Amino acid sequence: MTILDRLEHWNEQGAISLDQHAYLAGLCRREPFSLFLELNVLLYAGVLAFVAGLGWTFTTWSEQLGDVLVLTVLSAILAACFWYCFSRAPAWSPAETPAPTAVFDYVLYLGSLVWCVELAYLENRFHVLSGQWDFYLLATAVFFFFLAYRFDNRFVLSLALSSLAGWFGLTISRWPAHQDAVYRQCALLYCLVVGLGALLLQRRGLKPHFSGTYLNIVANVLFWALLSGVFNRRGYGVWFVALVLACGASLAWGLTRRQFAFVAYSALYGYVGISSILIRDIRDETFILSYFVITAVVMLVVLVQIARRFGRPA
Amino acid sequence: MRIYSASSEETLRARKLLEDWAGEGFLTKEQYQRLEHETVSELRTSNIFLRLILFLFTLIGSGAAAALFIVVFFSRPSGQTIGIFLLIFAAICYAAAEAAVSQARLYRHGIEEALAVCSVVLLCVGMQFALFSRSPYSPDSLHWLVPAAGVVFSFWIWHRFGLWYAFLAAMIFAASLPRYWTPSHSAQHVTVALLYAIGLLWVTAVRSRHRFDYLEGEYSVVEALLWLGIYLAINLQLSSLNLRGQWWAGTRAAFEFARPFYWTTWVLIWALPPVILARGVRQKDRFVIAVGAIAAILTFLSNKPYLGWPRHTWDPMLLGMLLAGTALFIQRWLAHGPGGIRHGFTAARLSGKDKYWMNAVSPVLGLVTPQAITPSPQTSSPDFRFDGGASGGGGAGGDF
Repeated sequence: MTILDRLEHWNEQGAISLDQHAYLAGLCRREPFSLFLELNVLLYAGVLAFVAGLGWTFTTWSEQLGDVLVLTVLSAILAACFWYCFSRAPAWSPAETPAPTAVFDYVLYLGSLVWCVELAYLENRFHVLSGQWDFYLLATAVFFFFLAYRFDNRFVLSLALSSLAGWFGLTISRWPAHQDAVYRQCALLYCLVVGLGALLLQRRGLKPHFSGTYLNIVANVLFWALLSGVFNRRGYGVWFVALVLACGASLAWGLTRRQFAFVAYSALYGYVGISSILIRDIRDETFILSYFVITAVVMLVVLVQIARRFGRPA
Repeated sequence: MRIYSASSEETLRARKLLEDWAGEGFLTKEQYQRLEHETVSELRTSNIFLRLILFLFTLIGSGAAAALFIVVFFSRPSGQTIGIFLLIFAAICYAAAEAAVSQARLYRHGIEEALAVCSVVLLCVGMQFALFSRSPYSPDSLHWLVPAAGVVFSFWIWHRFGLWYAFLAAMIFAASLPRYWTPSHSAQHVTVALLYAIGLLWVTAVRSRHRFDYLEGEYSVVEALLWLGIYLAINLQLSSLNLRGQWWAGTRAAFEFARPFYWTTWVLIWALPPVILARGVRQKDRFVIAVGAIAAILTFLSNKPYLGWPRHTWDPMLLGMLLAGTALFIQRWLAHGPGGIRHGFTAARLSGKDKYWMNAVSPVLGLVTPQAITPSPQTSSPDFRFDGGASGGGGAGGDF
């Protein structure tokens, strides 16, 4: 029985109305056919290609074009984008707000990327902050957080999060002993700041739908940082304990909230970390292969049980 | 021939559509709860994340088990012995995949998929070892047997389990076949395109019988892959080995090919995207439309290398304006139609899946883009200067 037959059957049963039947059968026959996703992808690719070309052109031809022209063009685009966004945005609301127009999100995204290009140009040409790039990144992160929350835009939120991560990284790179351990601490600090910030904002009811983006980024940065500690030849015990705790927390969070990405993170990162500890000094290939066979079977059994109990169709 | 019954797959499809419609508010909660009971399927599906992880661990377990067997039972096995045992393991993996579906009723669950994939990989590697490892002088004329077996078995896996990536694997195996048959690069390109064209004819004939049923989506993906395959086989700039060097220098791949052949393919790369787009629009086929758009963009990107013209730094800007302008024009044109619909198309969102994907992908894309497009930060050296392209800013030459 095809879906069209089922709709007919449900209509005859009275489970759906005649109007619903007509509408849903039309959707199944692709009448109308929505180009929503395709047009959004085209807009995104268009903005990205445009800004890439803009940055490349001004980088290459800045001498010939002159600073005034370059900065005027960049500022004009920036002003136009933000004028469009501020003039058309609905009143701010802490809840999820749909974009007022179909191109709104992409105009904001274009403005944000042009902002990055203009700052990079200014610093490269005039050395305003004498190479103190971290201040630009911090200011950019703050500005992007403001834009993301004002206009409810996930693109710009992730730009803000990556700018903040860049600020943490660049600041650390100026420290005298910038070794892996320092970077790791920096990553953990980043996770702490972003995680606590997300929690606070969610509790206050400020754009609570952003929390998924925060948590996914924090989880991945945290697991990478912990794994890099576990891979050390010395002093990996603390990192290993931290990894196990993080995996447990991620698993519990994923199961209770039915967010299976976190179950997947805990399974994958946990397996890599534990395996690296257990087989790092072993050269016997029979043992190593046996280890992979047994542990893979154990993981499968556990994951199948989880899938049966908590899983749902994708 | 298919391992799942039509009614099971139709039921599963109906259930997913019900979820989507309820999420979009096309059905009330009461209606959804009532109809949900009528769409109970015995097939066991899994969440996408669990599916990926189950796939990974099944691959690890199967691969390690095959290697362990050979290590434990043979001290210094010959290539042929390894090959034979890999073939046996391929058969075991395939049998396990069949059992996972027929006994445990797994459907896109990760485990049965990984077992099926393992069986293809082990078959090809096993055949290579069993037939050609013993003597380096084995006849070249038979080496095509391995990819040929890969084509046949991958195709079977796609047909039996409905895994689209098995069809993609069959296409990749098929693309490697002509080099065993002819040294001529032109003939190789033509043969691959012909193989895909035959596949396309077959798919278009078959899919017309499955309009609006559960198999339509599957044939749609396959048709889109075949169109893309034909385009890539024809576009000599994309399939050339020294792609980056040629694109950067603006030199042609023409010296590898006869001039008439080269220019025929140039005409074809311009002719094919409109054909694909027209077919996709006529069929209202999302995947074929997407491939048509990708082919059109690739044609714009490869046109200059084809003609031997130099690239300019503003080319991406023009492309960006074209893409965004096209999207805007279509969006506005559709929105101004009666009820936001023109010729059966709308720019409005009708499915919750679209929103789900937008929300899931946008943060990832936002994270990736700043690194991709912004100039790299300056070094800490105070002597560093922004040389306006004279030093090759952005990777381009100063005289570009």
